[in-house]
Amino acid sequence: MRGYLAVVRATYMIGLVYRFGFLFSIFGNIIYLGVAYFLWRSIYQHSETIRGLTFNETFIYIGLGSAMFILLKTYIDWILHYEIREGIIATYLIKPINLGLYMLSGGLGSLLMSLTAITLPTILLLTFVFKVEFTRGPGLILFPLSLLMAFLISFHIDFFIGLLGFYTDSVWGFGTTKDIIVTVFSGALIPLQFFPDAIRNILLWLPFQAIYHTPLMMVTKPDQAWDILLPMLSVQFLWVVVLFAATQLFYNQAIKVLRIGGG
Amino acid sequence: MRTPGEYLRLYFLIEALYIKGRMQYRLDFIISSIGMFVSSLATLGIFWVIFDNVPNIAGWTLMEMVFIYAFYMIAISPMQILFDHAWQLRFHVQQGSFIKYYFRPLNMMFYYMSEMFDIKGLTQLAAGIILLIYASIQLNIDWTLARLALLVMTVFSAALVQISIIVAASCATFWVMDSYPVLGLAWKLREFSPYPMTIFDGAFRFTFTYLIPIGFVAFYPSQLFLRPEEVSPLIYFSPILGMGLFAITYWIWTKGVNSYTGTGA
Repeated sequence: MRGYLAVVRATYMIGLVYRFGFLFSIFGNIIYLGVAYFLWRSIYQHSETIRGLTFNETFIYIGLGSAMFILLKTYIDWILHYEIREGIIATYLIKPINLGLYMLSGGLGSLLMSLTAITLPTILLLTFVFKVEFTRGPGLILFPLSLLMAFLISFHIDFFIGLLGFYTDSVWGFGTTKDIIVTVFSGALIPLQFFPDAIRNILLWLPFQAIYHTPLMMVTKPDQAWDILLPMLSVQFLWVVVLFAATQLFYNQAIKVLRIGGG
Repeated sequence: MRTPGEYLRLYFLIEALYIKGRMQYRLDFIISSIGMFVSSLATLGIFWVIFDNVPNIAGWTLMEMVFIYAFYMIAISPMQILFDHAWQLRFHVQQGSFIKYYFRPLNMMFYYMSEMFDIKGLTQLAAGIILLIYASIQLNIDWTLARLALLVMTVFSAALVQISIIVAASCATFWVMDSYPVLGLAWKLREFSPYPMTIFDGAFRFTFTYLIPIGFVAFYPSQLFLRPEEVSPLIYFSPILGMGLFAITYWIWTKGVNSYTGTGA
Protein backbone atom coordinates (compact mmCIF):
# COMPACT_ATOMS: atom_id res chain seq x y z
CA MET A 1 0.00 0.00 0.00
CA ARG A 2 2.83 2.39 0.87
CA GLY A 3 4.31 1.82 -2.56
CA TYR A 4 1.12 2.97 -4.23
CA LEU A 5 0.95 6.04 -2.00
CA ALA A 6 4.45 6.92 -3.19
CA VAL A 7 3.16 6.81 -6.77
CA VAL A 8 0.27 9.13 -5.86
CA ARG A 9 2.72 11.52 -4.27
CA ALA A 10 5.21 11.33 -7.14
CA THR A 11 2.56 12.10 -9.78
CA TYR A 12 1.38 15.04 -7.73
CA MET A 13 4.95 16.33 -7.51
CA ILE A 14 5.45 15.93 -11.28
CA GLY A 15 2.43 18.18 -11.73
CA LEU A 16 4.04 20.78 -9.48
CA VAL A 17 7.19 20.90 -11.62
CA TYR A 18 5.23 22.19 -14.57
CA ARG A 19 4.18 25.49 -13.09
CA PHE A 20 3.75 27.27 -16.39
CA GLY A 21 1.22 24.71 -17.55
CA PHE A 22 -0.52 25.05 -14.22
CA LEU A 23 -0.93 28.82 -14.55
CA PHE A 24 -1.86 28.64 -18.19
CA SER A 25 -4.57 26.06 -17.48
CA ILE A 26 -6.18 28.45 -15.02
CA PHE A 27 -6.04 31.20 -17.65
CA GLY A 28 -7.58 28.85 -20.21
CA ASN A 29 -10.35 27.96 -17.82
CA ILE A 30 -11.20 31.63 -17.22
CA ILE A 31 -11.65 32.12 -20.97
CA TYR A 32 -13.74 28.98 -21.18
CA LEU A 33 -15.96 30.13 -18.32
CA GLY A 34 -16.39 33.51 -20.03
CA VAL A 35 -17.43 31.93 -23.30
CA ALA A 36 -19.80 29.54 -21.55
CA TYR A 37 -21.29 32.48 -19.65
CA PHE A 38 -22.11 34.40 -22.83
CA LEU A 39 -23.36 31.36 -24.69
CA TRP A 40 -25.74 30.27 -21.95
CA ARG A 41 -26.86 33.80 -21.27
CA SER A 42 -28.00 34.05 -24.87
CA ILE A 43 -29.76 30.70 -24.62
CA TYR A 44 -31.55 31.91 -21.49
CA GLN A 45 -32.77 35.07 -23.27
CA HIS A 46 -35.98 33.26 -24.05
CA SER A 47 -37.04 32.17 -20.58
CA GLU A 48 -36.09 32.32 -16.90
CA THR A 49 -35.93 28.57 -16.43
CA ILE A 50 -35.43 25.81 -18.97
CA ARG A 51 -36.46 22.30 -17.96
CA GLY A 52 -36.49 23.30 -14.31
CA LEU A 53 -32.99 24.79 -14.34
CA THR A 54 -32.30 28.49 -13.85
CA PHE A 55 -29.42 30.27 -15.58
CA ASN A 56 -27.53 30.33 -12.29
CA GLU A 57 -27.89 26.55 -11.87
CA THR A 58 -26.96 25.78 -15.46
CA PHE A 59 -23.91 28.01 -15.24
CA ILE A 60 -22.70 26.29 -12.06
CA TYR A 61 -23.28 22.98 -13.81
CA ILE A 62 -21.35 23.98 -16.95
CA GLY A 63 -18.57 25.79 -15.09
CA LEU A 64 -17.89 23.03 -12.59
CA GLY A 65 -18.38 20.51 -15.37
CA SER A 66 -15.52 22.02 -17.33
CA ALA A 67 -13.27 21.88 -14.27
CA MET A 68 -14.29 18.28 -13.61
CA PHE A 69 -13.52 17.47 -17.20
CA ILE A 70 -9.85 18.31 -16.64
CA LEU A 71 -9.98 16.56 -13.28
CA LEU A 72 -11.30 13.28 -14.66
CA LYS A 73 -9.15 13.25 -17.77
CA THR A 74 -6.42 10.89 -16.63
CA TYR A 75 -5.10 10.03 -20.12
CA ILE A 76 -4.73 6.47 -18.81
CA ASP A 77 -5.96 5.11 -22.14
CA TRP A 78 -3.22 6.93 -24.08
CA ILE A 79 -0.51 6.20 -21.50
CA LEU A 80 -1.34 2.51 -21.26
CA HIS A 81 -1.50 2.16 -25.01
CA TYR A 82 1.87 3.90 -25.40
CA GLU A 83 3.44 1.66 -22.78
CA ILE A 84 2.09 -1.48 -24.42
CA ARG A 85 3.33 -0.41 -27.83
CA GLU A 86 6.80 0.54 -26.61
CA GLY A 87 7.07 -2.55 -24.41
CA ILE A 88 7.49 -0.45 -21.24
CA ILE A 89 4.62 -2.49 -19.83
CA ALA A 90 7.07 -5.35 -19.23
CA THR A 91 8.86 -3.35 -16.55
CA TYR A 92 5.61 -3.25 -14.54
CA LEU A 93 4.81 -6.89 -15.05
CA ILE A 94 8.10 -8.06 -13.51
CA LYS A 95 7.50 -5.98 -10.38
CA PRO A 96 5.31 -7.20 -7.52
CA ILE A 97 2.60 -4.66 -8.27
CA ASN A 98 -0.93 -4.75 -9.59
CA LEU A 99 -0.98 -2.84 -12.87
CA GLY A 100 -4.51 -1.56 -12.38
CA LEU A 101 -3.76 -0.27 -8.89
CA TYR A 102 -0.51 1.26 -10.09
CA MET A 103 -2.29 3.15 -12.87
CA LEU A 104 -5.05 4.15 -10.46
CA SER A 105 -2.46 5.62 -8.08
CA GLY A 106 -0.97 7.67 -10.89
CA GLY A 107 -4.44 8.85 -11.82
CA LEU A 108 -5.19 9.79 -8.20
CA GLY A 109 -2.00 11.86 -8.08
CA SER A 110 -3.01 13.90 -11.09
CA LEU A 111 -6.57 14.10 -9.74
CA LEU A 112 -5.27 15.74 -6.56
CA MET A 113 -3.10 18.02 -8.67
CA SER A 114 -6.01 19.21 -10.82
CA LEU A 115 -8.17 19.53 -7.74
CA THR A 116 -5.82 22.15 -6.31
CA ALA A 117 -4.86 23.67 -9.67
CA ILE A 118 -8.17 23.78 -11.51
CA THR A 119 -11.21 22.87 -9.45
CA LEU A 120 -10.63 25.12 -6.44
CA PRO A 121 -9.71 28.19 -8.56
CA THR A 122 -12.81 27.54 -10.68
CA ILE A 123 -15.06 27.49 -7.64
CA LEU A 124 -13.45 30.73 -6.44
CA LEU A 125 -13.90 32.29 -9.89
CA LEU A 126 -17.53 31.23 -10.06
CA THR A 127 -18.20 32.67 -6.63
CA PHE A 128 -16.27 35.93 -6.81
CA VAL A 129 -16.01 36.87 -10.48
CA PHE A 130 -19.22 35.46 -11.92
CA LYS A 131 -21.08 35.92 -8.63
CA VAL A 132 -23.08 32.73 -8.82
CA GLU A 133 -24.95 31.65 -5.72
CA PHE A 134 -24.54 28.12 -4.49
CA THR A 135 -27.63 26.59 -2.91
CA ARG A 136 -26.97 24.77 0.37
CA GLY A 137 -28.21 21.27 1.05
CA PRO A 138 -27.23 17.67 1.79
CA GLY A 139 -26.07 17.20 -1.79
CA LEU A 140 -22.98 19.28 -1.05
CA ILE A 141 -21.91 16.81 1.64
CA LEU A 142 -22.29 13.90 -0.77
CA PHE A 143 -20.44 15.67 -3.57
CA PRO A 144 -16.86 14.59 -2.63
CA LEU A 145 -17.93 10.95 -2.42
CA SER A 146 -19.84 11.25 -5.67
CA LEU A 147 -16.82 12.87 -7.33
CA LEU A 148 -14.55 10.05 -6.17
CA MET A 149 -16.90 7.45 -7.63
CA ALA A 150 -17.15 9.45 -10.85
CA PHE A 151 -13.36 9.31 -11.01
CA LEU A 152 -13.36 5.54 -10.50
CA ILE A 153 -15.95 5.04 -13.26
CA SER A 154 -14.07 7.31 -15.65
CA PHE A 155 -10.77 5.59 -14.78
CA HIS A 156 -12.11 2.13 -15.48
CA ILE A 157 -13.56 3.16 -18.84
CA ASP A 158 -10.19 4.69 -19.81
CA PHE A 159 -8.32 1.64 -18.54
CA PHE A 160 -10.57 -0.61 -20.56
CA ILE A 161 -9.91 1.40 -23.74
CA GLY A 162 -6.19 1.41 -22.95
CA LEU A 163 -6.22 -2.39 -22.69
CA LEU A 164 -7.41 -2.50 -26.30
CA GLY A 165 -3.79 -1.56 -27.02
CA PHE A 166 -2.94 -5.25 -26.53
CA TYR A 167 -4.97 -6.04 -29.64
CA THR A 168 -4.86 -3.00 -31.91
CA ASP A 169 -2.81 0.07 -32.74
CA SER A 170 -5.88 2.23 -33.39
CA VAL A 171 -6.06 3.94 -30.06
CA TRP A 172 -6.76 7.36 -31.64
CA GLY A 173 -10.06 6.18 -33.10
CA PHE A 174 -11.18 4.27 -30.03
CA GLY A 175 -10.00 6.97 -27.64
CA THR A 176 -11.65 9.81 -29.54
CA THR A 177 -14.91 7.95 -30.04
CA LYS A 178 -14.96 7.06 -26.34
CA ASP A 179 -14.18 10.68 -25.34
CA ILE A 180 -17.01 12.03 -27.48
CA ILE A 181 -19.52 9.44 -26.27
CA VAL A 182 -18.58 10.12 -22.66
CA THR A 183 -18.74 13.92 -22.97
CA VAL A 184 -22.06 14.03 -24.81
CA PHE A 185 -23.90 11.20 -23.07
CA SER A 186 -22.66 12.02 -19.57
CA GLY A 187 -24.10 15.50 -19.61
CA ALA A 188 -20.65 17.10 -19.44
CA LEU A 189 -21.51 19.67 -22.12
CA ILE A 190 -25.23 20.09 -21.54
CA PRO A 191 -27.23 19.08 -18.47
CA LEU A 192 -29.18 15.89 -19.20
CA GLN A 193 -32.43 17.73 -18.41
CA PHE A 194 -32.11 19.52 -21.75
CA PHE A 195 -32.25 16.29 -23.75
CA PRO A 196 -35.61 15.17 -25.17
CA ASP A 197 -37.34 12.83 -22.71
CA ALA A 198 -37.00 9.65 -24.78
CA ILE A 199 -33.25 10.09 -25.15
CA ARG A 200 -32.73 11.14 -21.54
CA ASN A 201 -34.49 8.00 -20.31
CA ILE A 202 -32.02 5.89 -22.27
CA LEU A 203 -29.01 7.92 -21.10
CA LEU A 204 -29.97 7.46 -17.46
CA TRP A 205 -29.47 3.71 -17.91
CA LEU A 206 -25.91 4.11 -19.17
CA PRO A 207 -22.79 4.43 -16.97
CA PHE A 208 -21.78 7.79 -18.48
CA GLN A 209 -24.36 9.88 -16.63
CA ALA A 210 -22.79 8.69 -13.36
CA ILE A 211 -19.55 10.47 -14.33
CA TYR A 212 -20.73 14.07 -14.74
CA HIS A 213 -24.46 14.33 -14.32
CA THR A 214 -24.69 12.77 -10.83
CA PRO A 215 -21.94 14.75 -9.07
CA LEU A 216 -22.92 17.97 -10.84
CA MET A 217 -26.54 17.56 -9.78
CA MET A 218 -25.34 17.18 -6.18
CA VAL A 219 -23.97 20.73 -6.44
CA THR A 220 -26.56 22.43 -8.65
CA LYS A 221 -29.58 20.97 -6.88
CA PRO A 222 -28.26 20.02 -3.44
CA ASP A 223 -31.52 20.71 -1.62
CA GLN A 224 -33.25 17.55 -2.80
CA ALA A 225 -34.56 14.90 -0.41
CA TRP A 226 -32.24 12.11 0.78
CA ASP A 227 -34.39 9.54 -0.94
CA ILE A 228 -33.55 11.15 -4.28
CA LEU A 229 -29.87 11.76 -3.56
CA LEU A 230 -28.98 8.39 -2.04
CA PRO A 231 -30.32 6.27 -4.93
CA MET A 232 -28.25 8.43 -7.31
CA LEU A 233 -25.19 7.60 -5.24
CA SER A 234 -26.08 3.89 -5.17
CA VAL A 235 -26.35 3.80 -8.97
CA GLN A 236 -22.86 5.30 -9.14
CA PHE A 237 -21.56 2.65 -6.75
CA LEU A 238 -23.15 -0.08 -8.83
CA TRP A 239 -21.37 1.20 -11.95
CA VAL A 240 -18.05 1.29 -10.11
CA VAL A 241 -18.47 -2.39 -9.20
CA VAL A 242 -19.65 -3.45 -12.67
CA LEU A 243 -16.89 -1.62 -14.51
CA PHE A 244 -14.24 -2.82 -12.07
CA ALA A 245 -15.31 -6.41 -12.70
CA ALA A 246 -15.39 -5.87 -16.45
CA THR A 247 -11.88 -4.39 -16.62
CA GLN A 248 -10.48 -7.14 -14.38
CA LEU A 249 -11.93 -9.83 -16.65
CA PHE A 250 -10.68 -8.06 -19.75
CA TYR A 251 -7.23 -7.51 -18.21
CA ASN A 252 -6.85 -11.19 -17.40
CA GLN A 253 -7.68 -12.04 -21.01
CA ALA A 254 -5.66 -9.28 -22.63
CA ILE A 255 -2.44 -9.89 -20.71
CA LYS A 256 -2.21 -13.34 -22.28
CA VAL A 257 -1.81 -12.02 -25.82
CA LEU A 258 1.13 -9.77 -24.91
CA ARG A 259 4.32 -10.44 -26.85
CA ILE A 260 7.30 -8.18 -26.44
CA GLY A 261 10.11 -8.47 -28.94
CA GLY A 262 13.36 -8.09 -27.02
CA GLY A 263 13.90 -4.96 -24.98
CA MET B 1 16.23 27.88 -53.20
CA ARG B 2 13.72 25.52 -54.71
CA THR B 3 10.78 26.66 -56.77
CA PRO B 4 7.20 26.20 -55.54
CA GLY B 5 6.70 23.65 -58.32
CA GLU B 6 9.53 21.51 -56.97
CA TYR B 7 8.08 21.70 -53.49
CA LEU B 8 4.69 20.63 -54.77
CA ARG B 9 6.18 17.63 -56.58
CA LEU B 10 8.15 16.73 -53.46
CA TYR B 11 5.04 17.04 -51.32
CA PHE B 12 3.13 14.57 -53.48
CA LEU B 13 6.06 12.15 -53.38
CA ILE B 14 6.31 12.32 -49.59
CA GLU B 15 2.56 11.98 -49.03
CA ALA B 16 2.24 9.10 -51.49
CA LEU B 17 4.81 7.19 -49.45
CA TYR B 18 3.19 8.21 -46.19
CA ILE B 19 -0.25 7.05 -47.32
CA LYS B 20 1.20 3.76 -48.57
CA GLY B 21 2.73 3.26 -45.15
CA ARG B 22 -0.51 4.08 -43.36
CA MET B 23 -2.53 1.76 -45.55
CA GLN B 24 -0.90 -1.16 -43.75
CA TYR B 25 -3.16 -0.23 -40.89
CA ARG B 26 -6.49 -0.32 -42.67
CA LEU B 27 -8.47 -0.97 -39.50
CA ASP B 28 -6.85 2.06 -37.91
CA PHE B 29 -8.01 4.21 -40.82
CA ILE B 30 -11.57 2.95 -40.53
CA ILE B 31 -11.75 3.37 -36.76
CA SER B 32 -10.11 6.82 -36.89
CA SER B 33 -12.56 7.93 -39.56
CA ILE B 34 -15.43 6.76 -37.38
CA GLY B 35 -13.93 8.73 -34.48
CA MET B 36 -13.65 11.84 -36.64
CA PHE B 37 -17.20 11.42 -37.88
CA VAL B 38 -18.61 10.92 -34.38
CA SER B 39 -16.79 14.00 -33.10
CA SER B 40 -18.29 16.09 -35.93
CA LEU B 41 -21.75 14.71 -35.21
CA ALA B 42 -21.40 15.51 -31.50
CA THR B 43 -21.53 19.28 -32.00
CA LEU B 44 -24.54 18.91 -34.30
CA GLY B 45 -26.15 16.80 -31.59
CA ILE B 46 -25.49 19.53 -29.03
CA PHE B 47 -27.07 22.14 -31.34
CA TRP B 48 -30.06 19.90 -31.80
CA VAL B 49 -30.50 19.45 -28.05
CA ILE B 50 -30.19 23.20 -27.40
CA PHE B 51 -32.69 24.06 -30.13
CA ASP B 52 -35.08 21.51 -28.71
CA ASN B 53 -35.46 23.98 -25.84
CA VAL B 54 -35.10 27.42 -27.43
CA PRO B 55 -36.18 28.75 -30.86
CA ASN B 56 -32.90 30.55 -31.62
CA ILE B 57 -29.53 31.65 -30.22
CA ALA B 58 -29.16 35.43 -30.46
CA GLY B 59 -31.56 35.37 -33.40
CA TRP B 60 -29.81 32.55 -35.29
CA THR B 61 -31.89 29.50 -36.19
CA LEU B 62 -30.82 25.87 -36.07
CA MET B 63 -30.38 25.60 -39.84
CA GLU B 64 -28.27 28.76 -39.95
CA MET B 65 -26.09 27.32 -37.18
CA VAL B 66 -25.77 24.10 -39.19
CA PHE B 67 -24.56 26.18 -42.14
CA ILE B 68 -21.98 27.97 -39.98
CA TYR B 69 -20.85 24.65 -38.54
CA ALA B 70 -20.53 23.12 -42.03
CA PHE B 71 -18.42 26.10 -43.10
CA TYR B 72 -16.32 25.59 -39.98
CA MET B 73 -15.78 21.88 -40.71
CA ILE B 74 -14.53 22.71 -44.20
CA ALA B 75 -12.38 25.61 -42.99
CA ILE B 76 -10.56 23.61 -40.31
CA SER B 77 -9.90 20.63 -42.60
CA PRO B 78 -6.68 21.97 -44.19
CA MET B 79 -5.24 22.39 -40.69
CA GLN B 80 -6.35 18.89 -39.73
CA ILE B 81 -5.10 17.26 -42.92
CA LEU B 82 -1.90 19.18 -43.71
CA PHE B 83 -0.68 20.52 -40.35
CA ASP B 84 -1.51 17.66 -38.01
CA HIS B 85 2.16 17.14 -37.22
CA ALA B 86 2.01 20.36 -35.15
CA TRP B 87 0.70 18.18 -32.31
CA GLN B 88 3.89 16.11 -32.23
CA LEU B 89 6.19 19.14 -32.19
CA ARG B 90 6.60 19.19 -28.42
CA PHE B 91 7.65 15.52 -28.33
CA HIS B 92 10.24 16.06 -31.05
CA VAL B 93 11.57 19.19 -29.36
CA GLN B 94 11.73 17.63 -25.90
CA GLN B 95 13.22 14.32 -26.97
CA GLY B 96 15.71 15.91 -29.33
CA SER B 97 14.50 14.22 -32.52
CA PHE B 98 13.65 17.66 -33.88
CA ILE B 99 17.31 18.10 -34.73
CA LYS B 100 16.89 15.95 -37.81
CA TYR B 101 14.86 18.64 -39.59
CA TYR B 102 17.88 20.92 -39.69
CA PHE B 103 19.81 18.57 -41.91
CA ARG B 104 17.88 18.71 -45.18
CA PRO B 105 18.16 21.40 -47.84
CA LEU B 106 14.42 22.07 -47.50
CA ASN B 107 12.23 24.66 -45.90
CA MET B 108 11.93 23.38 -42.34
CA MET B 109 8.27 24.07 -41.81
CA PHE B 110 7.51 22.37 -45.12
CA TYR B 111 9.67 19.37 -44.26
CA TYR B 112 8.30 19.03 -40.75
CA MET B 113 4.61 19.37 -41.65
CA SER B 114 4.92 17.16 -44.74
CA GLU B 115 5.80 14.22 -42.52
CA MET B 116 2.16 13.72 -41.69
CA PHE B 117 -0.91 13.73 -43.86
CA ASP B 118 -4.00 13.15 -41.82
CA ILE B 119 -6.16 10.89 -43.96
CA LYS B 120 -9.03 10.83 -41.50
CA GLY B 121 -9.36 14.61 -41.90
CA LEU B 122 -10.71 13.89 -45.38
CA THR B 123 -13.79 12.37 -43.71
CA GLN B 124 -14.36 15.66 -41.95
CA LEU B 125 -13.95 17.62 -45.16
CA ALA B 126 -16.42 15.37 -46.99
CA ALA B 127 -18.93 15.56 -44.13
CA GLY B 128 -18.57 19.36 -44.09
CA ILE B 129 -19.24 19.65 -47.81
CA ILE B 130 -22.31 17.40 -47.64
CA LEU B 131 -23.62 19.34 -44.65
CA LEU B 132 -23.03 22.68 -46.40
CA ILE B 133 -25.00 21.50 -49.43
CA TYR B 134 -27.80 20.24 -47.20
CA ALA B 135 -28.02 23.49 -45.23
CA SER B 136 -27.88 25.57 -48.43
CA ILE B 137 -30.85 23.66 -49.85
CA GLN B 138 -32.81 24.07 -46.61
CA LEU B 139 -32.03 27.78 -46.45
CA ASN B 140 -32.65 28.37 -50.19
CA ILE B 141 -29.21 29.83 -50.76
CA ASP B 142 -28.72 30.59 -54.40
CA TRP B 143 -25.16 29.60 -55.34
CA THR B 144 -24.22 31.89 -58.19
CA LEU B 145 -20.75 31.73 -59.68
CA ALA B 146 -19.78 34.92 -57.88
CA ARG B 147 -20.88 33.45 -54.57
CA LEU B 148 -18.95 30.27 -55.16
CA ALA B 149 -15.85 32.33 -55.84
CA LEU B 150 -16.51 34.19 -52.61
CA LEU B 151 -16.87 30.87 -50.80
CA VAL B 152 -13.53 29.62 -52.07
CA MET B 153 -11.86 32.86 -51.06
CA THR B 154 -13.36 32.94 -47.58
CA VAL B 155 -12.66 29.26 -46.92
CA PHE B 156 -9.05 29.81 -47.96
CA SER B 157 -8.69 32.77 -45.58
CA ALA B 158 -10.48 31.00 -42.74
CA ALA B 159 -8.26 27.95 -43.17
CA LEU B 160 -5.15 30.15 -42.94
CA VAL B 161 -6.43 31.77 -39.75
CA GLN B 162 -7.05 28.37 -38.16
CA ILE B 163 -3.69 26.96 -39.29
CA SER B 164 -1.89 30.03 -37.94
CA ILE B 165 -3.51 29.81 -34.51
CA ILE B 166 -2.68 26.12 -34.05
CA VAL B 167 0.86 26.27 -35.45
CA ALA B 168 1.70 29.41 -33.45
CA ALA B 169 0.40 27.71 -30.28
CA SER B 170 2.46 24.59 -30.96
CA CYS B 171 5.57 26.78 -31.26
CA ALA B 172 5.29 27.61 -27.55
CA THR B 173 7.21 24.40 -26.99
CA PHE B 174 10.43 26.10 -28.17
CA TRP B 175 10.36 28.33 -25.09
CA VAL B 176 8.45 26.47 -22.38
CA MET B 177 8.77 22.85 -21.34
CA ASP B 178 5.12 22.15 -20.59
CA SER B 179 3.54 23.83 -23.59
CA TYR B 180 0.57 21.48 -23.86
CA PRO B 181 -1.94 23.85 -22.17
CA VAL B 182 -1.18 26.52 -24.82
CA LEU B 183 -2.07 24.13 -27.63
CA GLY B 184 -4.95 22.79 -25.55
CA LEU B 185 -6.40 26.28 -25.20
CA ALA B 186 -5.99 27.00 -28.93
CA TRP B 187 -7.78 23.74 -29.63
CA LYS B 188 -10.58 24.57 -27.22
CA LEU B 189 -11.00 28.07 -28.68
CA ARG B 190 -11.52 26.41 -32.06
CA GLU B 191 -14.70 24.84 -30.68
CA PHE B 192 -16.19 28.28 -30.06
CA SER B 193 -15.80 29.53 -33.61
CA PRO B 194 -19.09 28.11 -34.95
CA TYR B 195 -21.10 30.19 -32.46
CA PRO B 196 -22.49 33.62 -33.38
CA MET B 197 -19.91 36.18 -32.30
CA THR B 198 -22.81 38.52 -31.54
CA ILE B 199 -23.45 36.67 -28.28
CA PHE B 200 -20.20 38.01 -26.86
CA ASP B 201 -19.74 41.39 -25.22
CA GLY B 202 -16.86 43.80 -25.01
CA ALA B 203 -13.50 42.22 -24.34
CA PHE B 204 -14.49 38.78 -25.58
CA ARG B 205 -15.85 39.97 -28.90
CA PHE B 206 -12.83 42.22 -29.37
CA THR B 207 -10.46 39.31 -28.64
CA PHE B 208 -12.21 36.89 -30.96
CA THR B 209 -12.39 39.48 -33.75
CA TYR B 210 -9.00 41.17 -33.56
CA LEU B 211 -6.57 39.37 -31.24
CA ILE B 212 -7.28 35.66 -31.68
CA PRO B 213 -9.62 36.04 -34.63
CA ILE B 214 -11.57 32.78 -34.37
CA GLY B 215 -14.61 34.76 -35.54
CA PHE B 216 -13.05 34.69 -39.00
CA VAL B 217 -12.88 30.89 -39.02
CA ALA B 218 -16.62 30.45 -39.46
CA PHE B 219 -19.04 33.06 -38.21
CA TYR B 220 -18.06 36.25 -40.07
CA PRO B 221 -17.53 34.53 -43.44
CA SER B 222 -20.81 32.58 -43.05
CA GLN B 223 -22.66 35.86 -42.48
CA LEU B 224 -21.74 36.78 -46.05
CA PHE B 225 -23.95 33.98 -47.34
CA LEU B 226 -26.64 33.92 -44.67
CA ARG B 227 -27.27 37.57 -43.92
CA PRO B 228 -25.22 39.70 -46.30
CA GLU B 229 -26.98 42.83 -45.07
CA GLU B 230 -25.56 42.44 -41.54
CA VAL B 231 -22.00 41.74 -42.56
CA SER B 232 -19.19 43.98 -41.40
CA PRO B 233 -16.97 45.37 -44.19
CA LEU B 234 -14.01 43.90 -42.30
CA ILE B 235 -14.75 40.50 -43.81
CA TYR B 236 -13.50 41.65 -47.22
CA PHE B 237 -10.06 42.02 -45.67
CA SER B 238 -10.03 38.42 -44.48
CA PRO B 239 -7.56 37.18 -47.13
CA ILE B 240 -5.13 39.84 -45.92
CA LEU B 241 -5.83 38.83 -42.34
CA GLY B 242 -5.28 35.15 -43.13
CA MET B 243 -2.03 35.73 -44.94
CA GLY B 244 -0.85 38.28 -42.38
CA LEU B 245 -1.48 35.86 -39.52
CA PHE B 246 0.31 33.10 -41.35
CA ALA B 247 3.27 35.41 -41.90
CA ILE B 248 3.37 36.16 -38.16
CA THR B 249 3.15 32.46 -37.37
CA TYR B 250 5.96 31.72 -39.80
CA TRP B 251 8.04 34.39 -38.10
CA ILE B 252 7.37 32.83 -34.67
CA TRP B 253 8.28 29.41 -36.06
CA THR B 254 11.55 30.76 -37.50
CA LYS B 255 12.39 32.42 -34.17
CA GLY B 256 11.70 29.16 -32.36
CA VAL B 257 13.68 27.05 -34.78
CA ASN B 258 16.65 29.39 -34.51
CA SER B 259 16.61 29.41 -30.73
CA TYR B 260 16.40 25.64 -30.41
CA THR B 261 19.60 24.17 -29.06
CA GLY B 262 18.71 20.49 -29.08
CA THR B 263 18.90 18.17 -26.11
CA GLY B 264 22.45 17.02 -26.64
CA ALA B 265 21.32 13.50 -27.35
